[in-house]
Amino acid sequence: MKENEREVLNAAVMAGRILLESGAEIFRVEDTMGRMIKKYGIESSSSVVFSNALFITSGNEKEKYFAKVMHIPISASRLDKVAAINQLSREIEANGYPISEVKEKLYEIQNMPQKPEIFRILASGIGSGCFCYLFAGNLADCLAAFLAGCILYAYIIFISNRYLSKMVANITGSALVTLLALLLYHFFVGDHLNQMVIGSIIPLLPGVSFTNSIREFAEGDYISGSVRLLDALLVIFSIAIGVGLVFSIYNRLTGGGML
Amino acid sequence: MMIQFLAAFIGTAAFALLFGVEKEYYFYCGLIGGIGRIFYVWLTGSFAITESTFFTTLVIIFLSRFFAVRKKCPSTIFVVSGILPLVPGAGIYWMAYYFVINKIELASKNGFSALKIAVAIVLGIVFIFELPQKIFTIGLKENR
Repeated sequence: MKENEREVLNAAVMAGRILLESGAEIFRVEDTMGRMIKKYGIESSSSVVFSNALFITSGNEKEKYFAKVMHIPISASRLDKVAAINQLSREIEANGYPISEVKEKLYEIQNMPQKPEIFRILASGIGSGCFCYLFAGNLADCLAAFLAGCILYAYIIFISNRYLSKMVANITGSALVTLLALLLYHFFVGDHLNQMVIGSIIPLLPGVSFTNSIREFAEGDYISGSVRLLDALLVIFSIAIGVGLVFSIYNRLTGGGML
Repeated sequence: MMIQFLAAFIGTAAFALLFGVEKEYYFYCGLIGGIGRIFYVWLTGSFAITESTFFTTLVIIFLSRFFAVRKKCPSTIFVVSGILPLVPGAGIYWMAYYFVINKIELASKNGFSALKIAVAIVLGIVFIFELPQKIFTIGLKENR
């Protein structure tokens, strides 16, 4: 029985970790862990979750002491994992699996494969093209935004995610997009430079951190809210710096007449 | 209008894939993006951009919670991809652009308007998430 408690808490921590690193909100992490622990009959547990860390303890006169502290770096959002854990949590609530089975399922979710690279690259291109249209670009602009969006995501997957810090990755990414748009505009396809750049920087925008930070603030979780807001602002400023950098060099080279 | 809907539909669904959303939800993500876009275009006819953004956000978040209850999944999936067409990417771009060509006044004007749009999105999200869950389970027998 004692060993079982340890297993339950470990499984709950694992579920919490997967949720947090995949981009779930803090209250969802706390709620999911809490439900799981209650379901398996542990009364004395309490947990604190921050946007990059997780603390959990339990133990009183009747139950054995347990504590775990975990640092969780912010990584790419994987909403499929969030949905899968959510589903698992519902199933546990309804059916009550034995804890060993829960662990197996958690390992399965942890190792869920990411979408193939080529799909993600194409999706980024298609998204950029469509958004370019929404920002009043014409078909030629959309084609250019599609190409720039594809190349941007290939750059993100193969270079910046592997070797670069977040700030440098975003600055170089948006600079790359602006450069590509300039080249396409002058030598290949596209009529409106501005719309082309606007469409193709969309894949860099921090949608998940921005939305989560708002939800965090609304739930009264100011620390995690501020961390995520800061994260979103940093990304936005990096994008602006990247665009501005390329444009100012271009402006210098062409003598200020071309922009 | 139809093309606007389609562009928003496909664009939103494509970005849903980038956020790692499962296949079965692409359609709903796209639908929310498309409906949001139609509302936005319709509202900008008579309102300023900030108000249009606010009301469109209300619609998008409401639909997100509606579908989340029916598909039994976290609403984040729909919210994140649904509001993407509203996020002021263009405002950020124009800010950088005018800053470079030394038109500081226009740069700050665009930066400030991007901030106003962001605040409108924030308010929209906060208001709809305050609504009790009961509203969204109306018509679902198993949840009663």
